[in-house]
Amino acid sequence: MRKIDSMGIALLAVMALFLAIMACEARASTHWGANYFPNVPLTDQNGRTFHLYDDLLKGKTVVVNLIYTQCKDSCPLETARLIQVRQMLGDHVGKDVFFYSISIDPEHDTPEALKAYAEKFHAGPDWLFLTGKKEDINLVARKLGLYFDPGLNRDGHTVELMIGNEPSGQWTRNAATDNPRFITSTITTLVDGWNSHKAVAEKSYAQAAPLNVSDRGQYLFATRCAACHTIGHGTKIGPDLIGVTAVRDRGWLLRFIQKPDELLAEKDPLAMSLFKQYKEIQMPNVRLGPDDTESLVRFLEAQSATKATGVSSTAKTDEREKHVEKAASNN
Amino acid sequence: MSNIYLPKSASKARIKEATNARNNRAEIVKAYSQGKVSRRDLIKWGLITTGGLLAPIHGLNPFVTSAYADGGSNIPTGAPRSPLFGTLPFTQPLARFDVLSRDPITSLNPAPQAQANQTQQPVPASLGGGTGPIEGRPPGAIWAHQQFGLLPPQVAISATMEGAKVNTVYNPGVASNFNSGIDPTTPVRPRFHPNLPDQGPLALWTYNGTFPPKLMQVRYGGDAALFRLTNKLPADFSQNGGFGRITISTHEHNGHHGAENDGFTGAYFFPNQFYDYHYPVVLAGRNTVNTDATDPRAGGPSDSGGINKIPGDWHETMSTHWFHDHMFSFTSQNVYKGMAGMFNIYSALDRGNEELNDGVNLRLPSGTAKSWGNQEYDVNLVLADKAWDQDGQLFFDIFNFDGFLGDAMTVNFFYKPFFEVERRKYRFRILNGAVSRFFKVAISDASNTAQPMIFIANDGNLMPSPVVLNQLDEQGIAERYDIIIDFSKYNIGDKIWMVNLCEHQDGKKPSQDLTLADALSGNSADPCVGKFLEFRIVRNPATPDVSQVPTTMIPNPDLSSIPVTRERVFEFGSGGNQTTNDPVSTFFGPWGIKTDNQGPTLNADYGRISAAPKFGTREIWTLQNGGGGWDHPIHIHFEEGQILARNGSASNVPSWEKGRKDVYRLRPGGSVTLTMQFRDFGGMFMEHCHNTVHEDNAMLLRWEIDNAGGAFLKALPTPIPKPQGVTFEDPDDILPTAF
Repeated sequence: MRKIDSMGIALLAVMALFLAIMACEARASTHWGANYFPNVPLTDQNGRTFHLYDDLLKGKTVVVNLIYTQCKDSCPLETARLIQVRQMLGDHVGKDVFFYSISIDPEHDTPEALKAYAEKFHAGPDWLFLTGKKEDINLVARKLGLYFDPGLNRDGHTVELMIGNEPSGQWTRNAATDNPRFITSTITTLVDGWNSHKAVAEKSYAQAAPLNVSDRGQYLFATRCAACHTIGHGTKIGPDLIGVTAVRDRGWLLRFIQKPDELLAEKDPLAMSLFKQYKEIQMPNVRLGPDDTESLVRFLEAQSATKATGVSSTAKTDEREKHVEKAASNN
Repeated sequence: MSNIYLPKSASKARIKEATNARNNRAEIVKAYSQGKVSRRDLIKWGLITTGGLLAPIHGLNPFVTSAYADGGSNIPTGAPRSPLFGTLPFTQPLARFDVLSRDPITSLNPAPQAQANQTQQPVPASLGGGTGPIEGRPPGAIWAHQQFGLLPPQVAISATMEGAKVNTVYNPGVASNFNSGIDPTTPVRPRFHPNLPDQGPLALWTYNGTFPPKLMQVRYGGDAALFRLTNKLPADFSQNGGFGRITISTHEHNGHHGAENDGFTGAYFFPNQFYDYHYPVVLAGRNTVNTDATDPRAGGPSDSGGINKIPGDWHETMSTHWFHDHMFSFTSQNVYKGMAGMFNIYSALDRGNEELNDGVNLRLPSGTAKSWGNQEYDVNLVLADKAWDQDGQLFFDIFNFDGFLGDAMTVNFFYKPFFEVERRKYRFRILNGAVSRFFKVAISDASNTAQPMIFIANDGNLMPSPVVLNQLDEQGIAERYDIIIDFSKYNIGDKIWMVNLCEHQDGKKPSQDLTLADALSGNSADPCVGKFLEFRIVRNPATPDVSQVPTTMIPNPDLSSIPVTRERVFEFGSGGNQTTNDPVSTFFGPWGIKTDNQGPTLNADYGRISAAPKFGTREIWTLQNGGGGWDHPIHIHFEEGQILARNGSASNVPSWEKGRKDVYRLRPGGSVTLTMQFRDFGGMFMEHCHNTVHEDNAMLLRWEIDNAGGAFLKALPTPIPKPQGVTFEDPDDILPTAF
């Protein structure tokens, strides 16, 4: 379990300096520019050095979160969600929008470690994974409003995204694990004030009918699993789950879905082999209760059966599948 | 400059301790930098951590909270102290709220309509160009005004949202002798005090762009109001003076209206658009209680002194609301920037006339000239702490997420004013309009003795019976406390003061409630502790005070015969190790809400539906503060609730909380169990922490009244507003416990 060290002398000194600067430069064109952000050096996964303000923030729309590669909890899901956002943004990334994931564990997260991590997730070269001096990173975290008292959080960081447009001084926070379509909307809005608000599928009032949600498993799959898994559409970050209920022992499957961290900690052979097979990205514990897990497995069973026979049992199931696939691709 | 302030009166021991700590630290740093000690030595001695930072231990670091705990503070948040330019307290009169005029519906052009007006207009290039609808309300039947035909608007109230400007049309609603001598024809400048500079049009955004804050007066009795708010903010979101968002959504807190009028956080609109809010002003239970509208207690005041009777439960009569911005992720910035007003509702019981004796009117202090809505002796007060930069322009730290504190106390946005009163009873409707600060109000006379107040309404709902208090309870953000002060016992020339006893060190929660003597001593490090409003007793009333404070006002609605359909638990959490039953609930931290003890603590996603009570039912909800390090005033939109228990026991509920409420202060580590009904209107509503900094950072969830009443939740599409028109997303994330 990681902990961020407490804020120390360096930070306090800089805070004091910041207050002094605030006093004389409060009338600068934007309150949240060079006079606010520290220009500390950070190194990316390719070993290139960037200065935070000059190179990474100035004049840009950015999406910033904190991670560390040895995170066994929320980071993998966070990164998987951001991958979805990145896909929805398409060409905008690296051109109009810049993604930065800053490691809070610079001791372990060398540029090489970050490069391996980025590749596991197919993050693409335009997404910078950054490391640097511990005290610089603490300062950056605090300044970006991403710092969280390590005594109050087992991960020592928030799973928040800071989405900002530096020239306009507009900054907004979202949960990194939020609905990716919503995050994408927020980002595109900041980029150019709705000019290119096309990344997310839009619906008119007539098209977006109220939804009857009748299958809890379907819902759970769409919201908790689809960032990393498909059913019959191939491997994503994790395995394709078609037929999984047939090849795995039911008791094991239920337990693995509910507490993957426990099985890995116990070095369960099957869990370990999956871990190795899928690039050592640990499946996060998404906090499902026993009932939830049952519903989910039943849903996987039904989906696998339908797809295996190649025939939709009813038109209704077809509809449902369509919805889930859409959710899977959108979510 | 240091970022810590020790109080002027800090004990010698504390000052010495801090000084020693500073010196110790400097010596260690020096020794280390000169190579006299190694990093390894320091780690071994426990003086620095392996990460290289000086250990936050007492006696070494002056920034660590002292064992003597007499309080350093860091107020305002993220900035040096606000310059006062030599301004002394109580040197300007309190200007009363600016009353918005009530106009005929025909004055509105275009005429209001049930569904949003989709007439197109050009959209400025800075907002993407093309064309967009003139009304920003989401289109279609789901967002149409509910019961628009049945409860057609009778009165139009119009306002703009715009940058600060001079007010040349101030309407205080009373003659100048009831407004501390302020001549309403003198232009009111947008400033906190005559010694302080005008706020620029980017620094301050208010309803109509002006000071004082605005008051809407509405009444029960078939007098539905149509509030048309036009967004006249700059059509460029970078023009915000460092904080604030040009897209807005107005919440009439705690209106019993359809969801389309609730100021839903995701139903925001853009510059050059308007949004029509339909406020029918009805009594809850109108479909099930007193449906034939025969009870004279259920009604509103007519212009001629009578009662316009309406269906519904008269026990649900409400009196004091407020309205404010509710923009997703930007509520705190926008409200702080000036987007707040008050909303008085007049009824047969509380009609704002102290003389009319019809056996129903409670005759609370107000005035006599008009049939209803007199304000001579009925005064709205909004309390808020502000901070400004070295040029005197409003400042907000947008990167602080524990909560923002200002260092300058304002009443009705004016820095520490005075208010002239007559020797008689007055009613004060006190709103906590701060971002993160709690207040605790007492009244002191010149000899520092606490003066009694009569507490008559909690969250704007008249109590079953009045409660006499020497100091009010802590008042969380958005809570309203109505009190009566009787000035008849003072002499002309006397002064008494409203005093804040609640001390903060940060925006997480109050650090302590001081005694009156301590609060008046000037020793607190919190600049907002102490006197903030001076009452000057200036004359006898021209006519005798005929107002009353009846021993029975509005008994609570009797819910005993209504079955409880469902119980739900909402936990407002922060850190994982602070929850008792789930050590890892911080999954989506830092602020979030966990529903029914199941699954993770969830951050705000207004597309996610966390609860869907069935239409026409009653439920019991327990709101649990997941941690001891914060306090959260939780607001549930739509209908008043009754507190059944605090921390699991009815005996913990104080007398002044035995009425109806809409904001529930959980207290650190505490819980509130309440019951409420879901009726009259359907749609999507919110439940959130009203520390708006917490709210903006995900301590918000959406619930819906399932008006289909079917077995499954019928989730509504989520609006995605854009200047070119609102589009929709499928409802995406429905909690399993929602159905």
